[in-house]
Amino acid sequence: MIRFENVTKTYRRSTQPALQGISLEVGRGEFVFVVGQSGSGKSTMLRLILCEEASSAGNVLVAGRELSSLPSRKVPALRREIGTVFQDFRLLPNKDVFQNVAFALQVLGKSRHHIKAVVPETLEMVGLGGLEKRLPHQLSGGEQQRVAIARAFVNKPAILLADEPTGNLDPTTSLDIVRLLDRINRTGTTIVMATHDDEIVNQLRKRVLELDNGELVRDQMRGGYGAPR
Amino acid sequence: MRLQFILSEIWVALRRNLSMAISVALVTMVSVLFLGLGVLAQRQVDAMKDYWYDRVQVSIFLCTAKSDLPNCSTGAVTDVQRREIRSQLGAMRPLVKNVFPESQQQAYNRLKEQYQDSPTYRDIKPSQMPESFRVQLSNPTKYDVITSSFKGAPGVGDVQDQRRILDPLFNVLRGLSFGALALAALMVLCSVLLVATTIRQMAFSRRRETGIMRLVGASAFVIQLPFILETLIATVVGSALAIGVLWALVGYGIGYLGTELPINFITTADVWTVTPWLVATAAGLAILTAWLTLRRYLKV
Repeated sequence: MIRFENVTKTYRRSTQPALQGISLEVGRGEFVFVVGQSGSGKSTMLRLILCEEASSAGNVLVAGRELSSLPSRKVPALRREIGTVFQDFRLLPNKDVFQNVAFALQVLGKSRHHIKAVVPETLEMVGLGGLEKRLPHQLSGGEQQRVAIARAFVNKPAILLADEPTGNLDPTTSLDIVRLLDRINRTGTTIVMATHDDEIVNQLRKRVLELDNGELVRDQMRGGYGAPR
Repeated sequence: MRLQFILSEIWVALRRNLSMAISVALVTMVSVLFLGLGVLAQRQVDAMKDYWYDRVQVSIFLCTAKSDLPNCSTGAVTDVQRREIRSQLGAMRPLVKNVFPESQQQAYNRLKEQYQDSPTYRDIKPSQMPESFRVQLSNPTKYDVITSSFKGAPGVGDVQDQRRILDPLFNVLRGLSFGALALAALMVLCSVLLVATTIRQMAFSRRRETGIMRLVGASAFVIQLPFILETLIATVVGSALAIGVLWALVGYGIGYLGTELPINFITTADVWTVTPWLVATAAGLAILTAWLTLRRYLKV
């Protein structure tokens, strides 16, 4: 589903590469944690998958597409297969829960009938049934992140990227959010989650990719947050 | 993207950025107004030219006994010379449409009628007035054919084209209309810059929406469309206001002058004729500016 072939990314005005010689493969339906210190290259890896940035060297393949040769007009089609969740939720403050989730379908031209059927179903799945009319500021942090996850998942993407989705949440809520992502993963969606949260990584025991200064230093199945001793 | 969704998004955005939309509409209004004034002034000059050139004539003044013109040293025009001139004019049809001979007495009567109270012409006598042929041309711009044919011919004192009297007036009017167009160009530049700045601000203030649209895979066209449509709406409103002002100026201002002065002024029909061009120019420029600005400042 996702393949990095000797990928290096160096940002302009930077001499140090953000990612260096990364090669890895994430299969369909996998759940992968990407861990590492701040500045280790976790977000850059997600941005490369999302085609927000282009690699400086090497190939990135996502959902059967080689991103280095993907024309910009085909980028939207790629992104329709990827859902994204961020630490800061990025909800639209003047739209209620239903409208925030429906927005993702409306801009893709989906019919009202389809939206009315799919949005409540997705909200129910993320545990927000009955909160459709609430505005984001009337929700807790955990609920806001659920709305963001619903928005990312409503179009049933093949891949869901989560960039520190629990960074702004307390430990209990964080665990709830990751369990929700785990449920989504069980529907067949590939999940790549960048995180700092050792407790969650240790508890779920999924595949762990550890980055250090842009280099992949660990790729471990059922790994913990820290390196095995 | 569904039409209803686009319209509701635009409505919300326009309400939220009402002051920006109003400023774009007003600057567009002023630029289209100047553009319209320039174009209408050109049409006015053309209309007046058509009207007056149809009426102006070339006058061939013949020598009088006491004429001091250099070509009249041999004295008054003879019958042979007069017949020669007349037959030469006859041979110049169809350029020569009509020939009106004016005798010395007729010229004297006309002068007296025009300047009846003027002491300057009180002592003038009919014999001092030159006899003339007033020539109406089918194509008034070819007056120099007549001038070159008759200037210096035996018995001809002078050839005068009435256009020469009107041309300075037309030149002034034409100059004013070009001035209005130059001012319009400046105002169009202002509105283009304002639209560009406004769109930059709109794109910045809505970066969260556009960011989400981008992430969920909306195409560049869908992301840019609301911005372009909002600009277009503000521009069309501004243009409509400008057309309204032009219509009122021509309908009431010039319409009033038309009843007072014997000049064929432009009418509101001329305003309607130029309206599609003005609106299309304003809308086209707005779309182009919006698109170019969005390409540069809205990451897709």
